[in-house]
Amino acid sequence: MSEPALLTVEKLEVVYHRAITAVQGISLSVRKGQIVAILGTNGAGKSTTLRAISGFLGIDDARVTDGSVTFNGKRIENRQPNEITRLGIALVPERDKVFPNLTVIENLTAPFAPAHYNRRDNEVLAYQFFPRLAELRSRTAGLLSGGERQMLALASALVCRPELLLVDELSLGLAPVVVQDLMARLVQIRHELGTTIVVVEQSAAAALNVADYGYVLENGRVVLDGEGARLRAHGDIQEFYLGQTSSSDRRSYRSVKQYRRSRRWYG
Amino acid sequence: MQLAVNIVVLSAIYALIACGYVLIYRVSRVLNLAHGELMMLGAYLLLATAASFAGNPVAAIAAAVVLSLAVGILVYVFLMRKMTGEMVLAAVLTTVALGTLLRGLMVLIWSAQQQYPGQALGFANPAIALPGGGRISTFAAILVVTTALVYGGLFVFLRFGRWGVRMRAAGQNPLLAAQRGINLHAVYALAWGLSTLTGSMAGMLIALDSGLTSSMTVIGLKAFPAALVGGLDSLVGALVGALIIGAAEVLSIQYIDPLLSDVVPFLVLIAMLIVRPWGLFGTREELDRV
Repeated sequence: MSEPALLTVEKLEVVYHRAITAVQGISLSVRKGQIVAILGTNGAGKSTTLRAISGFLGIDDARVTDGSVTFNGKRIENRQPNEITRLGIALVPERDKVFPNLTVIENLTAPFAPAHYNRRDNEVLAYQFFPRLAELRSRTAGLLSGGERQMLALASALVCRPELLLVDELSLGLAPVVVQDLMARLVQIRHELGTTIVVVEQSAAAALNVADYGYVLENGRVVLDGEGARLRAHGDIQEFYLGQTSSSDRRSYRSVKQYRRSRRWYG
Repeated sequence: MQLAVNIVVLSAIYALIACGYVLIYRVSRVLNLAHGELMMLGAYLLLATAASFAGNPVAAIAAAVVLSLAVGILVYVFLMRKMTGEMVLAAVLTTVALGTLLRGLMVLIWSAQQQYPGQALGFANPAIALPGGGRISTFAAILVVTTALVYGGLFVFLRFGRWGVRMRAAGQNPLLAAQRGINLHAVYALAWGLSTLTGSMAGMLIALDSGLTSSMTVIGLKAFPAALVGGLDSLVGALVGALIIGAAEVLSIQYIDPLLSDVVPFLVLIAMLIVRPWGLFGTREELDRV
């Protein structure tokens, strides 16, 4: 029997500045222990969906105007971000993901952790998955490389002991080899801690390599979803997200295919 | 020698008040222009508790300290919390209004006459002879020691305390702090509580040393240049800034004209704003530009 849904998003609609609808009725479901990828191009609504789940819409004058977000049986849309974190959801944002003037160890001290975990427990947890951070523990976070910052961001999110880890654009600005390594760490985190993970990515190849399930978003809607392996094999995904085109395809022909794909996806 | 003692005492007063400005600015980017009034309220609270706990000065002081902490937290909860997410200017103007309101209320309740909480508590304030020929009053000496302890305590708290690190984190990136489960309202309330507490301690010690009048807010205002000269987001800066302002004021009184005492701190401030607007130890990027 499959695991029950940990997170359910139903017909979610998000409006910015009371005028711009960024997410138009997205529904998705994440089961316990899964790694789920949300893919899409710029402006598809991926990050907005993630922000709606983690309670960060208010800052950008955006609101959930319709639909629901349910986590562990509790409705959480439009709740305060720190409340949502305490319920068991931690977000690794796309940018500004560490406190630059704090040291690595201070970045691991600041997050909220359940009361029975002390500082040493938090450090042990962080170094278990990112041993490199142990060597950098006294370094100011602003002086870390991009990959090291991403490690620290993931580690500090883990300190909150989330049941659900949301990772926004893990690959942004990082070399492919670093992205591959970080994706492997996500798999390790899921395996060893049982953490459910949602990864929002433009880099479909990196995400689909580790995802059990995936959703493709375009213009604020889910246009395609399925198991990771099935999406990897899907012709449209291969062509438009993984860049695997036949060398004989001419550009004009690609445009025709793109038009047909749009017709298929948008109905 | 006496000149050096005077500089140290005045600098300690400014430093103890200035750290309150820094704590709130560092965490929330708000300039608390009611800090002088909150400092004076602390002194009047001591006067009130001295009457309530007659014959038990320790209980009176402890009650005044606890009340000061509570006042800071309540100011945040009932007033400044509403300003979260609003323009910084709106929050600063709110503190101006709060200061004016408090000043009026204190005069109404306790009158504008000079009062002596030290007498009410039964404390004498004998001068202590220092090696080298200088003299310092007992409460001035306690104030210097208190300032040193407060700065030492704040350093340890902000560097090693979990909530201290959270305060620094919230000051750097409040969004990320909330994402990490930190309750920003709790952090801001703590900052307001500690700031009012340290300011009130300064107010109480000044009042015990030299009496209490409604003009005490001027001292709070003169500590503001100390915080700015040092750099508004740096505690070390506040300490150094207080020393510079204290030394400039004492030296100008001694060698130029005592009437300059209220002017000199602001002259130093203007000079610093022209040369280095972010202060000696402040963070340049934190300044909003004109």
